[in-house]
Amino acid sequence: MSLGNTAAAKRPVLEAQGISKHYGGIVALDKVDLTLNEGEVLAIVGDNGAGKSTLIKALTGAIAKTTGVIRFDGAETQIDTPGDAKTAGIETVYQDLALVNEISITKNVFLGREIVRDDWLGRWLGVLDFKKMDAEIRDLFDKLDIRIADIYRDAEAFSGGQRQAVALSKTVMFGKRVAILDEPTAALGVRESKMAMDLVRSLKDHGLSVIMITHNMQHVLNYCDRVMVLRLGRLVAVRDVADVDGDTLVGLITGAKEAGAQA
Amino acid sequence: MSNTDGHSGTSNPGTSAAWIVRIRHDLMQIWPVLASLILIYGFFFTMSPPFRSIDTLLSIFGQASILAILACGTTIVLISGGLDLSVGSIFAVVGVSVGIFMAEWGLPPFAAVCLGLAIGAALGALNGTIQVLTKVPAFIVTLGGLTAYKGLAEILASGRDLSRFPDAFKFFGTGNAIPMVIMFAAALLTGLFLTKTRLGNRAFAIGGNEEVARLSGVPIAKSRIYYYMLGGLLAGLAAMVEVAKLNFAMPARGQSYELYAIAAVVIGGTSLFGGRGGVGKTLLGMFIMQTIIVGLSYLGVGTSYQRIAIGAIIIAAVYWDVWRRTAR
Repeated sequence: MSLGNTAAAKRPVLEAQGISKHYGGIVALDKVDLTLNEGEVLAIVGDNGAGKSTLIKALTGAIAKTTGVIRFDGAETQIDTPGDAKTAGIETVYQDLALVNEISITKNVFLGREIVRDDWLGRWLGVLDFKKMDAEIRDLFDKLDIRIADIYRDAEAFSGGQRQAVALSKTVMFGKRVAILDEPTAALGVRESKMAMDLVRSLKDHGLSVIMITHNMQHVLNYCDRVMVLRLGRLVAVRDVADVDGDTLVGLITGAKEAGAQA
Repeated sequence: MSNTDGHSGTSNPGTSAAWIVRIRHDLMQIWPVLASLILIYGFFFTMSPPFRSIDTLLSIFGQASILAILACGTTIVLISGGLDLSVGSIFAVVGVSVGIFMAEWGLPPFAAVCLGLAIGAALGALNGTIQVLTKVPAFIVTLGGLTAYKGLAEILASGRDLSRFPDAFKFFGTGNAIPMVIMFAAALLTGLFLTKTRLGNRAFAIGGNEEVARLSGVPIAKSRIYYYMLGGLLAGLAAMVEVAKLNFAMPARGQSYELYAIAAVVIGGTSLFGGRGGVGKTLLGMFIMQTIIVGLSYLGVGTSYQRIAIGAIIIAAVYWDVWRRTAR
């Protein structure tokens, strides 16, 4: 499964050093380092409260980190808002916060990056070009084999799997380099989970490197190249997926197994 | 949400064009409102012979028009998940201001109208800015605005006779027709804003789920200030139509207009909780309210009882909104 690990890979796209997040006296995240290599799927695992979501929120500017440096393609990059992350080419799918129920699929995909008409109405009044947006979404869905026809309908009309597919498709549409996914299969059934994970794997083919939070060890073993384990806000291990099994991972997550980090 | 069969990959049956989907969608949403309007009109039509005249119908539209212009702004603010209780007082400030501009300073109507719109927009934007900066809830900030702007209007008007305006200005309040034309124009522009523009479309996203919108890179604070600004601008427009119609300005005008506007918006089916709605619905809601008020007067029911009726309808409309949200 770890084909992406060989040959061309090993060039870091995103590096984070010493990321901490304090809430008053509480240390939610304690000097965590992270390296994401070109073309890989990196899993972040850990128990509840381990700091997984805090870490990706700090990486994507959704919360202000207390300390830490982020490098993108080797250059130090300031990421303080979700907008900064998007500009850098990082696209994030947050758990439960991916789509607005009340607006259409088209409007959801383009939310925050709407296409305006290429005339004075667009430039001066921000009049949207729905034709162009619809067409781009149809292309995108074709490319990713997402079968949703009624892109004009409100997002709430769709199943969990369809909604997740739409959210993931945004990373291909806009994520120039990196996709960060917070439990992409959390609310999904078995069949829908598999579809979502196949879609995650296909993100690689579209030039994206992926960071994925998950609780599902099978998904780590089947779909990821490397895995980092967090416990109580600290990084406790980074391993090549080829070198671990499910039991080892669970041991690292719960603390039953201690490990010197770094794979 | 009945789609639990797991056929997530299969396409929905009947791939329809965008406009068919939209019309079907709109009809599904407004049919109860439309049906209520017809039933209510039909009720008074049967009960009261004088109610049956075309003049009555026109006067319903005419009386609705000023409040409906103001309610267009309320629609934008409520869709974005906001609330503005101060627009009735903004209405008073703008009314008194244009009165001063023309009656005292002798400004030409065109200049007075432009300034009036600017004042309305500025006061609305001030509400939005204070909320965004202080994070004090909209209810409190605009409740403060409600009394503060009212005080401002009283100070501006005190000791002044604000009446007898130029004909060119009074034209905007001529009969039922001109206010109605202005109402439909304001509603049309508001509708285009909400459905066609980036800022307007973002109102639905911010009102639907502010956190998702923020994470998607939508500038929440800036957008919100614009929505309150447009709310103030439309309140100012409504005020000027009324001043033109009455041919005098006084700070007591606009009292409770914000509540009637919110009532009409909610009766029409725009959600009080944001994310859903439209200006066409607001017009329907306003017509329902005015039909009830006019109809009850024809039946000899006094103003106090009319207020009780409107109050009950507001609660029923919000209940319906809550029910739709939870019982889907």
